[in-house]
Amino acid sequence: MKRNLKIAGILLLVLGLSFVFMAGCAKKEVVKEETLMAQDERAAEAQAAEKEVLPQEQEEAQTTLEEKERLLQEAAAFADVYFEFDKYDLNTEARETLRQHADWLVNNTEFEVILEGHCDERGTREYNLALGERRSESVRDYLLNLGIDTGRLTTISYGEELPLDPAHAEEAWAKNRRVHFVVVTEKK
Amino acid sequence: MRKIGLVFIVTVLLWSSPVWGKIYIDINSPAFQRFPVAVPDFKNLGEQDDTKKLSIKFSNSLAEALKMTGFFRIIDKNAFIENRDVAGITADTVNFHDWSIIGTEFLIKGGFQYSNENLSAEFRLFGVVEGDLIVSRKYWGTLDEIKIMVQKFTGEILLALTGEQSVFGTKIAFTGKKGKTSDIYTINFDGSDLVKITNNKSLTVLPHWSRDGKQLAYTSYRRLNPDLYVIDLSNRKVKTISRFKGLNLSGPWSPDGSKILLTLSKDGNEEIYILDLETKKLNRLTNDPAIDVSPTWSPDGSKIAFVSNRSGSPQIFVMNVDGSKIRRLTYEGRYNTSPSWSPKGNVIVYEGAANGSFQLFSIAEDGSNFVQLTFENGGCEYPTWSPDGRYVAFSSREKGKIRICIINSNGLNLRVLHEKLGMEAIYPSWSPRLQLY
Repeated sequence: MKRNLKIAGILLLVLGLSFVFMAGCAKKEVVKEETLMAQDERAAEAQAAEKEVLPQEQEEAQTTLEEKERLLQEAAAFADVYFEFDKYDLNTEARETLRQHADWLVNNTEFEVILEGHCDERGTREYNLALGERRSESVRDYLLNLGIDTGRLTTISYGEELPLDPAHAEEAWAKNRRVHFVVVTEKK
Repeated sequence: MRKIGLVFIVTVLLWSSPVWGKIYIDINSPAFQRFPVAVPDFKNLGEQDDTKKLSIKFSNSLAEALKMTGFFRIIDKNAFIENRDVAGITADTVNFHDWSIIGTEFLIKGGFQYSNENLSAEFRLFGVVEGDLIVSRKYWGTLDEIKIMVQKFTGEILLALTGEQSVFGTKIAFTGKKGKTSDIYTINFDGSDLVKITNNKSLTVLPHWSRDGKQLAYTSYRRLNPDLYVIDLSNRKVKTISRFKGLNLSGPWSPDGSKILLTLSKDGNEEIYILDLETKKLNRLTNDPAIDVSPTWSPDGSKIAFVSNRSGSPQIFVMNVDGSKIRRLTYEGRYNTSPSWSPKGNVIVYEGAANGSFQLFSIAEDGSNFVQLTFENGGCEYPTWSPDGRYVAFSSREKGKIRICIINSNGLNLRVLHEKLGMEAIYPSWSPRLQLY
């Protein structure tokens, strides 16, 4: 009996204290909770606001990237422009090809072009480095005349060092006497 | 490479002979008949048996070196009638009649001693007709320096008979190409000691030696544009020399070593410039909307030969070093390029289109004496002169292989520099005389 009373008494005490404690804490907790809630609410609101913005931006970014990829793929298929042996003047077909490339460049101003000049394996290697440069300069000058900004055009010559077709015959040589277009995104 | 070890070959003048035959036969003349020379096996002067067969090693190596110069005809050993047990290696022990009777004009006698890794060898060159000693040397070294001893003595023979040393102490730099990348290599005149100089993982073209043989200028695409660099061969340090937009094509160094010729396209089209390597001052020489490229210095540095298509197709022109007095040099053929001016002055070798292929031609500075030098099926291109003006190295296309070949300046004695390079060998450039040994 006495033991039970003792236990009861302790329990009552604990209960009482905890009520007191809880009463005090409760306020704080409530306050805390309120604070938390407020913070949470604000966070939730902010998040909601963000969520409203992000998808749209993300979508835009996504389309721009996809679009860029698509455009680059399109440009990778740009036809080469061909030349006669030891010549760097543009024939009718070459000029037609360049007009098409120029149209594309005018409509897609975020891209630049590297004009690679190449030669076939005949003739002197050193002279061909100069001839390849001259071929790419010919193309650049024509594109400038069609209104492409000079800052978007870079020339580089590889002479006879990087043939498209390594065979030793006129069919291969004709393919190698070319200016090849490498379209890249603008360097900012 | 055991270049350091070579320094320890000691040479001693056994006989100070005045330079023999002051009237030298013109070995560059097309009428020149090669010197007939006999090279019998060397005599073992030591006490131990010749287990290493050095007797034959010496004579074979010497015959090969003499043959490589293109100025000697080696008499077949089977024709020798001398009694080897009786004859010695000094003038008083040789019966010169045994040699003149088999048609040789020159005789080389040699002896060696080999013990405990030490090798010594004596070489004597005799004139068979007079029965006199022309030049002699003794060398000390190790077994793997036999070739060097032999090449040194060959140089002494050439000096005595022709007035000028050999080119065994020179190298050829070239571009070795595998697939889409290429690097610069150097190799000895005899095809030994192939060394890779650059490691660019891109195209590396047009090597040109500095006049002291310590540096190489070249053009490389390692920064995605043909730019001009100079590499120091002692420490492989690379300096950027020219990085203009467009072409920065390497060219030969001036005879005084202070300037370099280059081709740039930065001013709108391909023109030739001189760059002073000290002051960095750039001087433009050509001023023409045509392609101007491939310059080469005259040996006195007063004129420059170059290629221009200003008259409709690529031809060779000559101008003064200040760009004035431009005149056309080549009128034969519709495509003439790659001029290289002989260090001896009057002759320019170049590449010209001939009957569907490209071959090497030589022409005098005044346009006379036009000669076709090569008749190779696959064609020859990019000639470069040896520093003594006696040889031309070039790139040849034969059965699909592109290799460096060497030819005497009279068009004879064509030799492939290295048969098994495993890559296309192009853009050769001949070094000045180097202190190799």
